[in-house]
Amino acid sequence: MIEIKNVTKTVRSGADDLTILADVTIEIPDGQFVAITGASGSGKSTLLGLVAGLDAPSSGEILIDGENITVMSEDGLASLRSEKLGFIFQSFHLIPSLTALENIMIPLEIRGEKGARERASELLEEVGLTNRGHHFPNELSGGEQQRIAIARAFSNNPKILLADEPTGNLDSKNGQHIFELMTALHDDKKTTLVLVTHDQELADRAERQIRLRDGKIILDSTKGQVN
Amino acid sequence: MQFILNLTWREIRSSWQRLLFFFLCIAIGVGSVVALRSLIQNLSQAVGTDARALLTADLEVSSTNMFTPDDISRIESVISKSTIIEARNEVITTAAMARPSDKQKEGLQFVELKGIEPPFPLVGDFRLKDGSPFDISLLDNKGAVVAPLLLDTLKLNIGDSIHIGESDFVIRATFNEEPGGQSGFRLGPRVFVAKTAFEETGLTRSGSRIRRRILYRTSENPTLLVKELREKLKGTILTVQSYRETQENIGAQFVRTENYLSLTGLLILVLGGVGVWNVARVFVEQKRKTIAVLKCLGADSRKVVLVYLLQILALGLVGSLFGILLAQLTLWFVGWRFGADLPEKMMYGIASGAAAQGIVLGVLISLLFSLLPLLQIRNIKPSLLLRDQNNVRIRKLDPTKWIFAIFTISGILGIAIWQAGSWKVGTFFLVGLAFTSAILYAVASLLTRSLKGMKKFSTFSVSQAVNSLYRPGNQTRVVLLAVGLGAFVVIAVQSLQLNLVRELDFTRNETLPSLFLVDIQRSQAEAVRKMSETAAGEPLTAIPTVRMRIARVDGAAIDYSEREVRQQQGQIGREFAVTYRPQLEENEKIIAGKWWEPTKSVEPEVSVVDDMARRLKINIGSTITFDVLGRMVNAKVTSVRKIDVRNTRTVFVFVFRPGTLENAPQTFAIPIVKQIPAVERARFQRSVIDAYPNVQIFDVQDILTTVTKLVNNFVLAISFVGSFVMLTGILILIGSVSLTKSQRVYENAVLKTLGAGRGKLFTILVIEYVILGLLAGLIGAVFAMALSYSVTKYVLEFNWEFDAMLVVAGILITALFVTVIGTVASFDVLFKKPLGILRSQ
Repeated sequence: MIEIKNVTKTVRSGADDLTILADVTIEIPDGQFVAITGASGSGKSTLLGLVAGLDAPSSGEILIDGENITVMSEDGLASLRSEKLGFIFQSFHLIPSLTALENIMIPLEIRGEKGARERASELLEEVGLTNRGHHFPNELSGGEQQRIAIARAFSNNPKILLADEPTGNLDSKNGQHIFELMTALHDDKKTTLVLVTHDQELADRAERQIRLRDGKIILDSTKGQVN
Repeated sequence: MQFILNLTWREIRSSWQRLLFFFLCIAIGVGSVVALRSLIQNLSQAVGTDARALLTADLEVSSTNMFTPDDISRIESVISKSTIIEARNEVITTAAMARPSDKQKEGLQFVELKGIEPPFPLVGDFRLKDGSPFDISLLDNKGAVVAPLLLDTLKLNIGDSIHIGESDFVIRATFNEEPGGQSGFRLGPRVFVAKTAFEETGLTRSGSRIRRRILYRTSENPTLLVKELREKLKGTILTVQSYRETQENIGAQFVRTENYLSLTGLLILVLGGVGVWNVARVFVEQKRKTIAVLKCLGADSRKVVLVYLLQILALGLVGSLFGILLAQLTLWFVGWRFGADLPEKMMYGIASGAAAQGIVLGVLISLLFSLLPLLQIRNIKPSLLLRDQNNVRIRKLDPTKWIFAIFTISGILGIAIWQAGSWKVGTFFLVGLAFTSAILYAVASLLTRSLKGMKKFSTFSVSQAVNSLYRPGNQTRVVLLAVGLGAFVVIAVQSLQLNLVRELDFTRNETLPSLFLVDIQRSQAEAVRKMSETAAGEPLTAIPTVRMRIARVDGAAIDYSEREVRQQQGQIGREFAVTYRPQLEENEKIIAGKWWEPTKSVEPEVSVVDDMARRLKINIGSTITFDVLGRMVNAKVTSVRKIDVRNTRTVFVFVFRPGTLENAPQTFAIPIVKQIPAVERARFQRSVIDAYPNVQIFDVQDILTTVTKLVNNFVLAISFVGSFVMLTGILILIGSVSLTKSQRVYENAVLKTLGAGRGKLFTILVIEYVILGLLAGLIGAVFAMALSYSVTKYVLEFNWEFDAMLVVAGILITALFVTVIGTVASFDVLFKKPLGILRSQ
């Protein structure tokens, strides 16, 4: 369960304070597939980053499974991400010095799990890149890189998967493929999936849609019901 | 832990090329330390620190006079009671002139004559050239065993005779190495004869510089015996020495030299450390995204810092090992280049102790200099993956950083103290280095700032080049500091060499004598003076010299049983050649008291050189008691002189007022200033020695040639070390170029899009490095001149001349180096296509 309570985020922009998120409150139950949409600068990615503990809100609280992450230390947050969260970025953010397989192994190795290589190989197979495991990111296409990123995000069996415009840097065919892969894994593993996207078509396929404008929620609709 | 090790290995696999400069900086620094330490250790081993063998005994009692019956009875009273004496012998040594006995043969050679008696040697091994052991019977019936060099210079063979003093000796054998090896400066090749034959040469009669030694071999440590002998011989001019003290002195001397030299290596290593710091800083900057991803995936800061720290340590270790390889190559080079001037037994391998030290040093320097940059990892937030903001800004007053900064400085201080082997020297070294670096850095900042003004008056290319020196994350000041320091060392050494060689240049310095005749008997003085005048074609004077020792100062005897006094024994306990004259010489200046009237005095009066006055802690009115061949003379100090040593024929530490020494046993010296052509000079020397065999002639030209060669080798060696400093500077330059490459690539892409062609971009690139090189050269040259001036004027105390050619060449060569290396390292940037670059930004 993700609980976002009255979260505000302001940053300094020159001499002024710029409000990116204003008093946002959302509850996301376990296993839900939520799409967050909105124009550029509406605060979608910031919201996702706050949920992942990548940044701290200016005010308000975020609770994950009842635990207030806004009061946690940097290292506490890192440990939380390692245990419960997976993150997929628009620009993949694979580590360029590691092979595809090693990139997938990293979260498992951080947790000190045994059999990281075998588990990573299984995931590689699941995303259909068995023969690309020994390639470095710069030797892979954008679609392939994102598939590796998805495998990496799922490697520690996260309860929550956060995806920031995962198809934004891909052509429509590859984008479609990535989306299918993500939702299939979500269905299969019963993961909570929070997807930030520009693409209304993709958003429409989510169970719930939240639309932001200027840091405020202007729409929160679950299929079959409008709030 | 598995994660840390795995990731460290994977990161090294992909990043080692980027850290190559780091690796090389450490390698060169470690290489310098290991090479210098090994060199000194090998040298000390080759010349033989085995003092027992050097002394050829365990214990010696020596004197420059005949042992008096009183001396002998005092010695015997101690020795006869001792139960540890195993054997005893006596030896006499002096310097003398030798020529072939056959008058038809030309040539004359200074030799070190040693009269020995069996058993010899008491300690050590003495083998002849053919490998057979030395046999004392070879010296029977005026036989001689000589160093092979003598046969070469006098063109003689075994079986021929040489004439020394009033005697002829038959050369029976040669030897490669005498017991204990060769140590110290030697006037000429060694000649061994029987002690009894030595006494018959007539050399002992003339008051020449003769040293007599009674040597003992003991069955046990002779320290106690030495103490007893010293006590018994208090008040005499005899000196007592055991091999243990000699060992201690020689050992300490080598350790000191090794420690001082390794500081030069440390300088290079610390400079390499600056390179390490620079590389680590930019490396972390380049790895920001990877670090953010790792944190995003759940790695805490500690783990990530550990990954990169391990990476640095591993490279530091490999760099150190490579440094040891470099040191070995250097040693082989030294053997090849300087082998002829170094002892024959010298080894050119790495000393294992030095290698171990090198590894520890390399890893420590890598750790200390990369720690602060690596701490920046803590400040990298995973949120930069969402919004790239420059969030690695250094937080002011970060306590962890301060703690680590203090730790780093203490660590470097610890290393300096360890390497110098002294708290004081280590601290001075580091403070001096920090001070010099701070000044260099400040000047570099000032110069680069003043460049901004240039932009107004210059072309597009120049103003772009100047802009490049200010680009974000620019390395301008670091490069100026590093290359400037290298240029500084190299130019300073060259300038010192020029001044030194100029000073030694015999043809320029007309005040130095060309020949020096000494040990002339009173009865021979007039005849030798006339002979010399004829040869030189100028009026000459024979200077009387009386040999004496200091017995007491203000009534107190000098106590050599005290260690500190004994260390100065060479300076104050030695025999002095003293003269007397009414007038002050041209090159002398009175700095205290008053020079005497040119009349004879009844009471002895003496004038003392300033250095000696300081050493003896005496003032005007003090009394020095001199021992003139057993007769005590109390002389009152009436003046203190300073001598301009550059402009002198003779340097007398003590000069007496006429009236005291006229009747004392004395010899005469004649300095000849006029340059005499080589052939005539040789003929003149020969004719003097033929007529007066006891006279000794120093050919100053020969000595100067040897000294000049020594200086040149020394300078070459320092320049070699200096070039390592320069090399590290150049490495830092190359490192900096590659570290700022992405910025340069982006700028070029923008300029290309705006219409700048490759030619224009190339011009900008060249101008940038020309400016950088000129500035580095200028900084180096100015500081080098300041150092060279201070050392020449205040340490070596001779005239300093500014050499414009050297300065101009120094600046231009530095600029050329920087331009060529900088341009070549950045050249590929010109060929990158702009679109891809602009897209990826």
